[in-house]
Amino acid sequence: MSLWRLEWMRLTRTKRWIALVGVYLFFGLLGPLTARYLGEILDLAGGDLEGATIELPPPVPADGMAQYVGNALQIGTLVAVVVAAGALAFDAIPEMGIFLRTRVSDMRTVLTPRFTVTVTAVVGSFVLGGLAAWYETWALIGGLGAGDVVAGLLLSSLFLVFVVALVAAVAGRATSVLGTVMISILVLLVMPIFGFADAIGRWLPSHLGGALAAIPAGTESLSDYLPATAVTIIATVALLVLAVRFAASREL
Amino acid sequence: MIRTTDLVKRYGTTEALRYVDLAVDPGSTYGLVGPNGAGKTTLLGILAGLRRPTSGSIEIDVDRSRIAVLPDTPRFDPWLTGREVAELAQRLTTGDGDRVEEVLSDAGLADAMDRTVGGYSRGMLQRLGVACTIVGRPSLVLLDEPASSLDPLGRREVLDLIGRLKGSATILFSSHILADVQEVCDTVGILDHGDLVFQGSVDALLVGQAVPRYRVRVRPPSDAVADALEQHDWVHAVEQNGADELRVTVSSLDDAESKLAGALAGAGAKVISIGPEAVTLEQAFLEVTR
Repeated sequence: MSLWRLEWMRLTRTKRWIALVGVYLFFGLLGPLTARYLGEILDLAGGDLEGATIELPPPVPADGMAQYVGNALQIGTLVAVVVAAGALAFDAIPEMGIFLRTRVSDMRTVLTPRFTVTVTAVVGSFVLGGLAAWYETWALIGGLGAGDVVAGLLLSSLFLVFVVALVAAVAGRATSVLGTVMISILVLLVMPIFGFADAIGRWLPSHLGGALAAIPAGTESLSDYLPATAVTIIATVALLVLAVRFAASREL
Repeated sequence: MIRTTDLVKRYGTTEALRYVDLAVDPGSTYGLVGPNGAGKTTLLGILAGLRRPTSGSIEIDVDRSRIAVLPDTPRFDPWLTGREVAELAQRLTTGDGDRVEEVLSDAGLADAMDRTVGGYSRGMLQRLGVACTIVGRPSLVLLDEPASSLDPLGRREVLDLIGRLKGSATILFSSHILADVQEVCDTVGILDHGDLVFQGSVDALLVGQAVPRYRVRVRPPSDAVADALEQHDWVHAVEQNGADELRVTVSSLDDAESKLAGALAGAGAKVISIGPEAVTLEQAFLEVTR
């Protein structure tokens, strides 16, 4: 039994992987379906809008991805934060923290498998959902360029790596799983507010989250994401350094 | 094995430990006793590296990897089996897993080792905690109130497990159950409001720190004998306990041994029995912390 196997078992035995895969796959399948049949859905809903008429343009392939990204960035990220906090807030129950801390002197040994396994599960689930959305978009609306989709998946995945690193750093200071979740969500909610100013927004990690929608739609190119990519990589590394320092300096 | 010098720990303005000079000899079983809030857990936490002292120094003559710690209420991921928890504990300390079944059997968990610990009772968790503590063959074992929350049977099992560790490791064991300390430990330290008010062998505490007192049975009436004994300057007090028993508090056991028999004879007492009062650790503890 190693700390790596422990994290793998945490995912499988607690069924957390089902929550991650389930939510991303669900939205991956639902997104293109919604984009393709939104008009019919509104008609079935009654269509009585007190005289107002909604005319929807014919769906285009990029709409399928946009629907997926919209849901994955909200509900999916929330689930990812909860799963990450459950793994990374290892001092939330002090007796469990003592078990590890009195046997492992270097906190990197504890945090590395927790961070890596969580990132793999979150990113893997997001990519799986993205591939499902891509396939269904092709089947229902039309094809999207593979290069654009892969680039979008990579950049959006980088944002998720940042999210898990943020949770790791917060967990080093918060005293509970709930506290870790709440603070992390607060930070993630505040970030897009700064992003309303475009000059700032294109530098923020949250800008990467929408890449899977924007690049296939052609509204932004890969080069538009360079500033946010650089900031996200630097911020992720900094957050991981902070996570190790916070964990090492904590008293139980 | 362990030496602390002027160890101080403050939480804000509260002093949890005040200039503690702890001395734990190699191979000893040291009982750290004190009421709740005395600073026992804080001291163990500092020795375990889980907390930092505000000031003072600590010397521990053993590598950090050879120190094992058991918190008062050990908890584990409930979806792991007892075997997996012990395997993880050994893997993180020695790198292998060859002693897992042996220690789990010693802890009485042979039949439960493949069940998830979420279904374990409090006593089973405590025994699993002890098993995880000893699986890595530690040189120094720090146990925080290992049996205080258990029922008598569970307490007995944990004390037996600790007893079996004697000789193979130095044990520092905190408790507020004095009978446990008296049974298991050869050395005792008493913490009171952050002060280490006594440190020494259990015998030294029982004999030296407690008030020396003799229990004398005489043929009634005993009033005159009591009055006569009180005239001696080495007799501090005489309490009558019924018609035929006197509890004589003396300045020292040496005075009592050399003078008490003569004083009783001089008082015309018809002595039935005489002997030093057996002092329990609880009485000694109360004397020291009074």
